[in-house]
Amino acid sequence: MVTPLLLGALAVLLAGPAPALLARVHRTRHTPRAAMVLWQSGALAAVLAAVGAGLSLVTGTAWQRAPDLLPYLTAGLALLLTALVLGRLLLSGHLVGTDLRALRRRHRDQLDVVARRDARAPGGTAVLENDLPVAYCVPGRHVERVVVSVGALDRLSPDEVGAVLAHERAHLRARHDLVLEAFSVLHHAFPRWVSSAAALAEVRLLVEVLADRAASRGSSCAALGRALVTLAEGRASGPGFALAASGDDSTLLVRVRLLADHRPHRVQAAVLLALSAAVLALPTAFVVLPWLSGLA
Amino acid sequence: MPSRNLGDLERAVMEQLWAAHSPDAALTVREVHDELARSRDIAYTTVMTVMDRLARKDLVSQERDGRAYRYRARGSRAAMTAELMRETLADFTGHDRQTALAAFVEDASAEDIAALREALSGLDGR
Repeated sequence: MVTPLLLGALAVLLAGPAPALLARVHRTRHTPRAAMVLWQSGALAAVLAAVGAGLSLVTGTAWQRAPDLLPYLTAGLALLLTALVLGRLLLSGHLVGTDLRALRRRHRDQLDVVARRDARAPGGTAVLENDLPVAYCVPGRHVERVVVSVGALDRLSPDEVGAVLAHERAHLRARHDLVLEAFSVLHHAFPRWVSSAAALAEVRLLVEVLADRAASRGSSCAALGRALVTLAEGRASGPGFALAASGDDSTLLVRVRLLADHRPHRVQAAVLLALSAAVLALPTAFVVLPWLSGLA
Repeated sequence: MPSRNLGDLERAVMEQLWAAHSPDAALTVREVHDELARSRDIAYTTVMTVMDRLARKDLVSQERDGRAYRYRARGSRAAMTAELMRETLADFTGHDRQTALAAFVEDASAEDIAALREALSGLDGR
């Protein structure tokens, strides 16, 4: 009965405490791609462990023992965790997915009639006739939109506009919306006292850093940095702005600082990738090994 | 923006509704068709379909006037744009749930701006 218990514990660990801890290791942000692989591996491993806890009962060497209470209790707990996580994953996935797509469709419907084109934002960008400076994209497989307001175009130079558009296109190309959706679904699949909100925030930040990196390959990173600050200033004086939450550096500040980092950090990247492999191997080993030893 | 014909038609119809003599004017399909037919070859039924679609998307309102329907834009172009922006900003500031859109910049406070400018000066020349 050890395996289901271990897997259940691993699932809980990988869903809550481990991500909370990883979110505090800020230096991982300097290798955003490797860090993202680690985050995704951890999430996948959590699901594997949760499902494996129930599955390992089926491959059950456990049932060969004499029936007493503790094994049944453990079995019950493991099955409960598996069912809970799977059920919530499916439900959450469905609800989150349909909500998001409906919201985006509604947004696109309005956007397509009120927006126009502007020579300052080439490539099919939708331009909103409004003084508040915004730039964003509406994700979707064949229906994506990149949107920028006249207020933003008025405040940015041509290469800054180019950097902003490149950043948004990077999000769309890499389908960051799907990555975030998967994390969000996972976050809501595990009970509230397990999932870490800091982890979700960290993944969102990494996604922005990745898009920043992709954009500064084409344009200069100074142009991107200036665009970030200009748009932040424009919004800080407009409606809908919020006060900085905690003592931690704001996302924007982190992003601008990271723009200055051009070093490859190969060792750190390698370490994170090795950790990713180990994290994925763990639940796999727990499920497979007892089964293998049962065969021997 | 999509350059599908349907999108172009929807925009053309909206332009008519917006440009009508007062922002609250409600037009019939016949009136819109007659105007559009001046510059393009377009069937009455096509205009009717497009306006019905716009009503189903809640972009125009539909009201009965005797035996015909009259359509009116939900607001002026500026008002509809402002409303869209408000929704967009509301989406950006929803921190707990996932955002439907991906913003380039989230909100910043006055203190952040000072720190941002300082960090920016470290970027110059790279």
